[in-house]
Amino acid sequence: MTSFACDKHRFHLESGVMEVSPSTVSLIREFGCEQTLLSRPDGSASFVQGDTSVMAGVYGPAEVKVSKEIYDRATLEVLVHPKVGLPGVRERSQEQCLRETCEASLLLSLHPRSSLTLILQVLHDDGSLLSCCLNAACMALMDAGLSMGRLFCGVTCAISTDGEIITDPTAAQEKESRALMTFAIDSKERRVMMSSTKGSFSVHELQQCIAVSQKASEKIFQFYRDSVRRRYSKNL
Amino acid sequence: MPTDNKRVRGPEVSQSPSLFCSRPAGVLSSPGPRADGRQRDQVDVRPVFVRCGLVSQAKGSAYIEAGNTKVLCCVYGPRETERKDETDMKSGRLTTDMRFAPFSCPERGSWIQGSQEKDFSLMLQESLQPAVCLHRYPRSQVEVNVVVLENSGSVLAHAVTCASMALADAGIEMYDLVLGCSLRQDGGSFVVDPTYPEENSRRPSGGGGEKRGGLTVAFLPSLNQVSGLQSDGEMAEETLTAGIRTCIEGCYKLYPVIQQALIKAVRRAAPPPAES
Amino acid sequence: MAAGFKTAEPLEYHRSFLKENCRPDGRELSEFRTTTLNIGSISTADGSALVKMGNTTIICGIKAELTNPTADAPGKGYIVPNVDLPPLCSSRFRPGPPGEQAQAASQFIADVIESSDLIKAEDLCVDRGKLCWVLYCDLMCLDYDGNILDACLIALLAALRNTQLPEVGINKETCLPEVDLEKRQKLHIHKHPVGASFCVFDDSILIVDPTDEEENLATAHLTVVTDEDGRLCSVHKPGGTPLSGEKLQECINRATARQREIHKLIDKVLDSVKTTQ
Repeated sequence: MTSFACDKHRFHLESGVMEVSPSTVSLIREFGCEQTLLSRPDGSASFVQGDTSVMAGVYGPAEVKVSKEIYDRATLEVLVHPKVGLPGVRERSQEQCLRETCEASLLLSLHPRSSLTLILQVLHDDGSLLSCCLNAACMALMDAGLSMGRLFCGVTCAISTDGEIITDPTAAQEKESRALMTFAIDSKERRVMMSSTKGSFSVHELQQCIAVSQKASEKIFQFYRDSVRRRYSKNL
Repeated sequence: MPTDNKRVRGPEVSQSPSLFCSRPAGVLSSPGPRADGRQRDQVDVRPVFVRCGLVSQAKGSAYIEAGNTKVLCCVYGPRETERKDETDMKSGRLTTDMRFAPFSCPERGSWIQGSQEKDFSLMLQESLQPAVCLHRYPRSQVEVNVVVLENSGSVLAHAVTCASMALADAGIEMYDLVLGCSLRQDGGSFVVDPTYPEENSRRPSGGGGEKRGGLTVAFLPSLNQVSGLQSDGEMAEETLTAGIRTCIEGCYKLYPVIQQALIKAVRRAAPPPAES
Repeated sequence: MAAGFKTAEPLEYHRSFLKENCRPDGRELSEFRTTTLNIGSISTADGSALVKMGNTTIICGIKAELTNPTADAPGKGYIVPNVDLPPLCSSRFRPGPPGEQAQAASQFIADVIESSDLIKAEDLCVDRGKLCWVLYCDLMCLDYDGNILDACLIALLAALRNTQLPEVGINKETCLPEVDLEKRQKLHIHKHPVGASFCVFDDSILIVDPTDEEENLATAHLTVVTDEDGRLCSVHKPGGTPLSGEKLQECINRATARQREIHKLIDKVLDSVKTTQ
């Protein structure tokens, strides 16, 4: 399945409780990532958040179909495959969110008139799927060695019926929640790149969730940095 | 049927409430007067409302409203032809796409183009083609898109009229306008520009001798030529020829209204120099 | 001269306007295009509305049909929204099945319906576990000049307000539904979610209600949906360049103001429809 460059490591977050505000308890499930685990794509990664797991593969820069060619930058295509069945309207909407987030971080003008393809295969969905897709996508793009202006990570927050904010909820927690928000946070200024929400909520709750997500993103970016450092220190 | 995973899906099956109606809709009693007060056996077309150039993105567009029938048409092009394998590149291609909005008929339609829509698209194309100077547009194609917002009968006829106006509005060179008119023969009598119930009335068949059928004529008024003719049902030769004459008469009734609308559109696009 | 500049350097052309705090069509940065509404013009639909925002035109027709509820939600009906961008509305769309944009728009509308409690699915139940309504909300773009999400939401809301469902009873003997098409009842609309869309130019300048051209040049899009209680039903930003918290707050404020404007407009048009009848 893999080459010698594959090194598997898991990163444990023992201090799950973060201090954001006294009323909000934020807990990120144990997460981990494996890069370069597929030999055919130019870059690949599998990202695991608790029981949610997504595999990502990147192909490109390669030749582009004439009909999709953009004269001054690369054309990025994102495909999301659900665990079972065919992709539907919901997957298409996720693809749009993922594509536009990746487009904003990749330096696409470096590869004019070429194609980049990002394929995400959902292996298991136990909540926070979109944020797991975002993280897998970012790791795979890094693995493919594509130039990026910034990194991004995904964080999902759920607001439970009693107003508690839960980060990185499981499928059961998602189902019980009153509102659900997924953000993509950029690595430069910790600002919101993508936002996708469900349920209704107040402005204050939105701001709280953004703050919690920004806080949680620190952990993920630290993980990105550590994993890249570990990988290249071994290879050299 | 394969599931459509490119649209939000509803339940597998659903029925229109009219199927469960306790009182069945009143059966049309012909030969009585027409429901909307028009005369039978006369060239009594519905008054039309027409307007050109409503759609900002299109090269040319037209909207027609006859009674409750509402049709919108947009023309794009001429642009580079998509199908390069066509052997005849000396003249342009005219493509037509006609569809019904899902809410346009009493029964909800599907988003997927049905066979009736495909038939209508083809008939529209065949009726318009003789009027367009396609040899003036080599290696290119002109696209005609028609959408029926509400179907209250004689859709094809009004689509033809609407499409030819949109083509004219787009500045596509044409020999003549194309006007459409349809007629419904019902035994010895006929109705011009039938409404949806008139088109689809299924009278309990009593006498087998009755001849019923529908007829749609596309007509070039200044050249005095017929460019499209579609008929279904059973009609005697004389009835058919008389029917075509009646439809042509109906087209002539429409002609001044269409001309006025086009003149208005041209005036708006290029106002005449102010007299001073 | 200006036309040539616009074609050759569209981004620079727009920037030169934005520098002066205005836009090529004469609007201010936070100004919506004129919104006009026509309700109930399609007699074959159970409810309908046509919305024009500048050139952008969306028609929504609602058809109600009867069906069986699912086993896991026996007391709920269905609402099935679909957005279509036919080749008629712009030269960029090809004939065939809906593309990514149309599908994402359909999903967005479906999400807003679910998030906002616009209609309670329980209201559509006729006989628990046996019979319920399905509302097919078909939205069709007739003229594509940007910002279809806002226009779609207004069209949907106005069409639902216009919808009247026929009365249904169950025949005790045959166990079949009986419909009285003459007696009709209005739907109960719980919330009025209205959207406001924004575009980000050069990572910092926010403009509201973008046209097609502005959408293509912008680096990020954002749609904020609010209801009459000032709660947010959706903050939809499908990627693009990052946005700061202050800018987001600006957008939310504009969206709340917009909600009030549109709510008033719909009420006004519905009133005028009633008086003409």
